[in-house]
Amino acid sequence: MPLLPAGLFYALFFGVPMLSLLVISLWRAQGFNLIPDFTFANYQKIIVSDLYRGVLLRTVSVGLIAAAIVVPVAFTLAYIMRFVFERRGQLILQLVMLSLFSGYLVRIYAWRTILGKQGLLNSALQWLGLIEEPLEFLIYSQVSVVITLVGLLLPLAVLPLYSAMLNVPRDHLEAARDLGASPFHLLRTVLIPMVMPGVRTAFAFAFLLAAGDYVTPTLVGGTQSVMIGNIIADQFRGTGTNWPLGAAMAFIVVGVTLLLYLAITQLIRWVTKW
Amino acid sequence: MVRGSRLWSWLFVALVLFYLYAPILVIVVFSFTTSPRLSLPIEGLTLDWYGRAFADPLIPMALKNSAILATISAVGGGIAGAAFAFGLVMLRNGRLRASLLSISMLPAIVPLLVIGIALAVFFSTIALPQGLIGAAIGHVLVSLPFVILTMNARLESFDFSILEAARDLGATRFQAFRDITLPLIRPSVVGAALLAAALSLDEFVVTWFNIGSQQTVPTLVWGLMRRGIDPSINAIATLLLALLVCLVVASNLLNRRKS
Repeated sequence: MPLLPAGLFYALFFGVPMLSLLVISLWRAQGFNLIPDFTFANYQKIIVSDLYRGVLLRTVSVGLIAAAIVVPVAFTLAYIMRFVFERRGQLILQLVMLSLFSGYLVRIYAWRTILGKQGLLNSALQWLGLIEEPLEFLIYSQVSVVITLVGLLLPLAVLPLYSAMLNVPRDHLEAARDLGASPFHLLRTVLIPMVMPGVRTAFAFAFLLAAGDYVTPTLVGGTQSVMIGNIIADQFRGTGTNWPLGAAMAFIVVGVTLLLYLAITQLIRWVTKW
Repeated sequence: MVRGSRLWSWLFVALVLFYLYAPILVIVVFSFTTSPRLSLPIEGLTLDWYGRAFADPLIPMALKNSAILATISAVGGGIAGAAFAFGLVMLRNGRLRASLLSISMLPAIVPLLVIGIALAVFFSTIALPQGLIGAAIGHVLVSLPFVILTMNARLESFDFSILEAARDLGATRFQAFRDITLPLIRPSVVGAALLAAALSLDEFVVTWFNIGSQQTVPTLVWGLMRRGIDPSINAIATLLLALLVCLVVASNLLNRRKS
């Protein structure tokens, strides 16, 4: 019974809209009219096009780079909070989580003012005499997109890793260490397998949300760092809209990122368990 | 390994916190500086940007809409999410419970952009015009996973034997809920509702695709950002930040008191 209100809400406003988006991705657009159909032409168009493939590839690689930075940093942070600071770790966790709720748009915008050509970082470096000309690669590039995404997603990745480590008894690590396990061996054979569900969730958050983020590439990315989200949004807002094409892109992104996510978590499990 | 690395640990934590808080600090500091350009050194301090921010004719509408949406998310998302989490912990079938929990997390994993366009397409097919109703549905949807997750963590430590004791002593199901369960979980529910309000106040992507010509504080900030560098953004952002911090800290305190 208590499951009903939220369950119905999910079915009606998440299940049905996602399904109708899937249906529309099989339709055709003619001018502003949608023509019901059952065609994979939209998917084909995206996969065949060099432009779209390139953007998709860039989206996936930005997602992977962001996740490759976020997960190890979050893992180290969670480890320190759990095993070095113990009780005080909770306070650090609160601080990390608080940053998550401090304005999504605002934090992205702030990175633009930090990394901009005449931004804080460049003017500080120039003032210190370390550089003569402003570093241009810092803004409107993939570098700025990754820097911003890492800041946005780090808190989300810390949470599942920290709660997974709370379930690891300290004795386990000490026993393994007393038996002569090297730190690397300990990490690979004891700690990582024990917190695997947390690693998976952290990776999912970091990778899927980085690849799917739309505001970051719009605000701090340049023309060379357009991500698939920008192109999808263009199909639904502004001129030259094409809903079926945009819907197909949305499902390709979700599909590709989910498949990659499953492949990578399987790979990690393989590597840590031989 | 642990003892010798305390200093390194502090250093690492300090670096990460600096990375996370540097952007926030920049916004707050530059909302008070006289120079409209964001660069060093700082020339002087002023409150003008706050005055300018409130002079924006769209601000009253944005504030009103944000408040409406946050209230709907807090009440709707808070109650439905808390009930769902409660229903989950009462399920005896562990596998069903785990899979329902995973499914309820989906709106947090699917890109917000995809949720936003899926809702926009759905609303247009049922001929619901863009506006506050669609945005409110979107806000409840994106806040539900977080409400369910926090409530679920709280309820796992809930002692269900006291409910059985009450029933054994002759309380009806409703009485047991009203007199025992509700007083015990109320702080957590309020905490989860405040979290939903914070998420709603900060929500941009889903709102942007569904609200039409209306404005919320984030869509207003977005409009200002697209137009170029305007220091009143920093002022609005600082106020929003203060509000969000209050909500999240209150939510944490309420959740803590129960445990």
